[in-house]
Amino acid sequence: MYRKQVRRRRAILVVLVVACLMLISISISEAEDGPLHSVQTGVSTVLSPVGEGASRALKPVRDLVDWFDETWQARGENEDLRDQVAKLRAELLDTQDAAEKAGYADQLDELMSDGDLSGYTAVDASVTARSPSLWFETIKISAGSSDGVERNDAVITKDGLIGRVSRVTGGTSEVALITDGESGVAARVAGKGPEGLVSGVVGNPGRLDLSLIQGEKEVRDGDRLVTAGFSTENGLSSRYPADIPIGEVVETIPAEQEQREQVNVKPFADLSDLTEVTVLTSGDSA
Amino acid sequence: MIVTPRIVLRLVLIVFVSVLLQVGFFSQVSVLGSVANLLPVVVVAIGLLGGAVSGAVTGFCTGLLLDAMIGGTPGLASLSLMAAGYLAGRWREGYDIVSSLVPPLLTGALTALAALIYGALTLTLGVDAPVSVLALREVVIQGLLGIVLAVPVFPLVRRILRPALVDESVRARVTGPGRSTRGGTFGMMRGQGSL
Repeated sequence: MYRKQVRRRRAILVVLVVACLMLISISISEAEDGPLHSVQTGVSTVLSPVGEGASRALKPVRDLVDWFDETWQARGENEDLRDQVAKLRAELLDTQDAAEKAGYADQLDELMSDGDLSGYTAVDASVTARSPSLWFETIKISAGSSDGVERNDAVITKDGLIGRVSRVTGGTSEVALITDGESGVAARVAGKGPEGLVSGVVGNPGRLDLSLIQGEKEVRDGDRLVTAGFSTENGLSSRYPADIPIGEVVETIPAEQEQREQVNVKPFADLSDLTEVTVLTSGDSA
Repeated sequence: MIVTPRIVLRLVLIVFVSVLLQVGFFSQVSVLGSVANLLPVVVVAIGLLGGAVSGAVTGFCTGLLLDAMIGGTPGLASLSLMAAGYLAGRWREGYDIVSSLVPPLLTGALTALAALIYGALTLTLGVDAPVSVLALREVVIQGLLGIVLAVPVFPLVRRILRPALVDESVRARVTGPGRSTRGGTFGMMRGQGSL
């Protein structure tokens, strides 16, 4: 009797492991519109209203926890911020002229008022779900194809770029954040021009990595990165509109053993606390 | 665990509500630079109460539902949660849980293991971006948060599944209704019929 139970237990375990491996294998090998992805999208569509309702119902509790968290953090940051304000005031006078010449400040203002993105329609959405692992930095938002959202549309907050739409259903969309391991954003240093690729650092959602493609000009701490938004004559173009703020260079580590220097970037948007986002929709690929 | 249609329904409800709570609340609240993961905690609790097969099957289904809701790679979360549930069940079948500290500590360890397996699988499948050492910190923090979450979750799951638990039935017969046994809260009998 006991042996029979053990055999049955092992058989079930083997079946489940094989099923998992098959799912992983199929998911990786098939196209985005393959059967498995279609089933996944269908289930997601059906469950989305429930998830959205749960997220709304739980928002007051989240806000309460966030309030305690922010209050706790604010106590510790208060002294640091006072010092930083004094330092930044002094730096502001020096950098204002240069920034205005580079057009960055103007572009930033225009972005906030949607002036520079006149070719795009802004669709506001709230965050309804988030992946529980740092390995896949994805969120789910309450806007989908019925709102005009399309795959690869850029997603921003008032602080800057946060990601792109990776999957769309009728009323919801999944957004791969710029800190996701699979994400890559063509970027350039505002006012300078060195261009590169900004990608996420798995395990560290507060940091981005800049790989310089055109490294002739020096990148310094404090440099601001914006989307490059390139397009070529043969139709190849960036997924993101140009000049959306991405982040600030916080550390450059000179190359020694590596082929290139390591450039650490801190995103402008607080990706750990996203509640409201804006999707930049467009008929054409951005 | 004595599995009846009513118990299956309760298990389905536990899994569904847990996934909703995870994606709608826990994943959106940052704690110590990471997020608490309720799902392995629930799966481990079911494994500890119901045995290896219950834990493995619940882990598999929980992972599938999670991947469907957040658009992850199907099978990844299932495999890691299934491992946690199965090992919890094997523990329950092999050892007596003699202290009330065992479930939270075991849950913490298996939550960390599930996070580790998930990360290892993701790395195996290939990650283009650089991987920070801080990914290991997430494993540790999720383990610690798992210990904290297990304190209320384990008794809650046991309460919901009480009619299906063999040891609870035995205890009820021995002590009679309305009486409790000191130290018997986690006193599960080794090898008693699991699913």
